[in-house]
Amino acid sequence: MDNTYVALIMGLLILVASFISVEAAISVAIIEIAMGVIGGNFLGLQSTPWIDFLAGFGGILLTFLAGAETDPQLMKEKFKESFLIGGISFLAPFLLTFAYCYWVAGWSFKAAEIAGTALSTTSLAVVYAVLVETGLTETKIGKIIMASCFVTDFGTALLLSLLFAEENWLTLVFVFGSVVIIFLSPKVMSPILKRYGNRVIEPEIKFLFFLLFLFMYLGKIGASHAVLPVFILGLVLSNALRSNRDLQRKLRVIAFAMITPFFFIKGGMNVSLKEVYANFGILLVLFGVKMGAKVIGVYPIAKKYIPKSATYATLLMSTGLTFGTISSLYGLSAGFINASQFSVLVTVVILTAIVPTFIAQRWFQPNLVEESRVSVDPVKELSALNVIEQREGENV
Amino acid sequence: MFRFNKILVAIDGSEGAKKALRVAVELAKRFDAEIHSISVEEDLPHYAATVGEVVEAKHERNAYFDKVNQESVEFAAKEGVTLRTKVVAGHEVEKTVNYINERKFDLLVIGFMGHSKVFGRIWGSTSQTLTRLAPCTVMVVK
Repeated sequence: MDNTYVALIMGLLILVASFISVEAAISVAIIEIAMGVIGGNFLGLQSTPWIDFLAGFGGILLTFLAGAETDPQLMKEKFKESFLIGGISFLAPFLLTFAYCYWVAGWSFKAAEIAGTALSTTSLAVVYAVLVETGLTETKIGKIIMASCFVTDFGTALLLSLLFAEENWLTLVFVFGSVVIIFLSPKVMSPILKRYGNRVIEPEIKFLFFLLFLFMYLGKIGASHAVLPVFILGLVLSNALRSNRDLQRKLRVIAFAMITPFFFIKGGMNVSLKEVYANFGILLVLFGVKMGAKVIGVYPIAKKYIPKSATYATLLMSTGLTFGTISSLYGLSAGFINASQFSVLVTVVILTAIVPTFIAQRWFQPNLVEESRVSVDPVKELSALNVIEQREGENV
Repeated sequence: MFRFNKILVAIDGSEGAKKALRVAVELAKRFDAEIHSISVEEDLPHYAATVGEVVEAKHERNAYFDKVNQESVEFAAKEGVTLRTKVVAGHEVEKTVNYINERKFDLLVIGFMGHSKVFGRIWGSTSQTLTRLAPCTVMVVK
């Protein structure tokens, strides 16, 4: 397929996705995946090496952003609760999904591992959007849920790196190089921002991209995957990004405008509707396994720490989107799962973004008055997430 | 004589909402009532892929409503009325009804057509639903 034609169609799909996203108030990622499904199933759109590379880099950039959105202070504050809830929220669905796929559905060991990872995730972004809407970001329950999401994300990133790791001496180079880069980056970032920041040519963003390319390269030669070090890099640079609003915004603009659409559209292109239809039964079972595992794992602990909102917390911890898609796409690219398994997994991931959120919002929303709100301040950027809480714009 | 003591006007920056504000301010003057406004950011992205997507959308909506509310407050001030504003994220109907319950308003003034997004529209017309669900008198300004 001619590259220019592919670029034209991709450009059109990306543009239409952004229009629909604004009009429907639905995340552009979901619409891009849907556009990819349309492109792949009805327009005969096929991936090319440049799309593969951009999509791969999109996954890395999304992982970096997820790390950078982590709030270390919040994690420290709610360490015990978040470690327990986030840890079990990751472990229970991983083990149950793995067990189902490997022993019942007859998937290969690696494919079952990928399925377990993809369905173990919790989407911080989906959760965060819900918490902003309900005004719970600064309540105890909101903080515990967000901190727990960080832990689950970390678990997923760790597991993905382990799944892809093959031990050879170059893996040591990858590990050692990653540690050095992660250690030095915050120290180097500050002077770069000071001397080169706020210019139209954006040396500071080029520096970040260079680091991400470096991790991708090290991951490749080390026969591993850069996902964990990139997540940790985001984490260690989160303070620098948070204190530089312009840089944070520019990075997001570049990511959402030019890079991440390729990741999500490629994800959608690989979803075969025929396979989804043919495997509808297993799809429903996997959805049930993920939800069931989250309930079994998270609910009892949530009941202990946030008794009045345990069901709500459990449902939010059952959501998934970005890391689920990343895990599935990595699994497909590495040949660990086939097109059929990928189609099923991504569809389940999207269902988990929508169904638990809807149920939580519709039937289990906590009473805000009962939640102890910490602060209500006009146009205040709250905590490290740059959360802007519901505002009392009282102007008298 | 029947009177209103606490009036809430829903503001979203649309022409309908501006008309509603004009009427609400007039009523506030006539009854010497308190007047508040509520603006609901209902078009934040649902099912977001990154926190950044939500944060940036929130910033954009905040900037929009800052401007809209500033104009509304100035308009009310010119008429000698103090308008207290509130901006919240969420579903327009749900948030407005909750706010009325919370603050015990006795009149809600809304424009006939706002700028409700598709996501909001699937739940039905905002003005119709508010008229049905609001626990106080509702005035729809056309």
